[in-house]
Amino acid sequence: MALESVAPLPAGVHRKLVVQREISRLLSPLTTSFVAAALRCAFGYRIEDLRGFRREYRKICLEHDGPLMICANHLTMIDSFVIAWALGSPWWYFRHFRTLPWNVPERSIFAATRFLRVAIYVLKCLPVERGGDRLEVTGVLSCLANVIANHEVALIFPEAGRSRTGRVDPDSAASGIGRIYRSASHCRVVCVYLRGDHQDAYSDMPVRGEVFRGSVSVIEPKTNYRGLRASRDIARQIAQRLANMEQEYFDDRK
Amino acid sequence: MNQTEIFDQVVKILTPYVKNQEALEGVSLDTHILDDLKVNSARLVDVVLEFEDAFNIEIDDDDVDKVETVGNAVELIEAKIG
Repeated sequence: MALESVAPLPAGVHRKLVVQREISRLLSPLTTSFVAAALRCAFGYRIEDLRGFRREYRKICLEHDGPLMICANHLTMIDSFVIAWALGSPWWYFRHFRTLPWNVPERSIFAATRFLRVAIYVLKCLPVERGGDRLEVTGVLSCLANVIANHEVALIFPEAGRSRTGRVDPDSAASGIGRIYRSASHCRVVCVYLRGDHQDAYSDMPVRGEVFRGSVSVIEPKTNYRGLRASRDIARQIAQRLANMEQEYFDDRK
Repeated sequence: MNQTEIFDQVVKILTPYVKNQEALEGVSLDTHILDDLKVNSARLVDVVLEFEDAFNIEIDDDDVDKVETVGNAVELIEAKIG
């Protein structure tokens, strides 16, 4: 499979990312603890076999020192927080900061106020306006490709937005994810499928007291295509794996 | 192949992906593919791949980012055809 190289970021953008990462690192014991406490205590969320999830992620991170990207199904606005909570404890993230994933939240929701902008800044988020200015979106994707190539972890939703049908649709996978994957040599994809018992469809927030169940698996998609077709093929393989995990989830629930 | 023929072919390829049929009726070189025609951004790659097949050309990932209007697509294809 032909790999693309990651275009280096402009010096100013690179500097900003480094500063954001270091500030996030310093504050991570506070921020990750706060998020975990809020999800668990304020919203009453639970994750079935939380230890198993974290053990699996730890194993993946320790076995593979190279680029990792997390790809997940997407049903609510706070999925990225729930996933980060599911995959690691605040202590783990403090000790292995690279494994705390960068996120790409929707700007109109998560950067609407100054407080939110500060909050997502210290939580390794790069806000983007989905469907917005193409150059800006490309710039953010370029930042993600760079952090992944530098062996940090990023969380990306292959379908870009929340699944409008409530189910993963491999055909709606955005090829940008395949492009990012192809730009990082020896990249592995950590597929995370997580769904609450009451999540029949997409929504803004999971219900209070929701119990999440799911699974984690790792893939290294390969393709014989080139260029755009390769990116689309990779994106579909990732989304298809999530769709398969979804099927397993529903089979287990029968 | 002249610009008009390329334009017609581009519109024909775009048609199944267009959600705003009214905008399609008045389509021109300045029509924005995502904003005016409301083509899903995730589907834009499928559109570009159909351009590749129809015109027997290869379009780079980076070039896709430059395709915003129907005119951009026509210009890109014209340049690739030579």
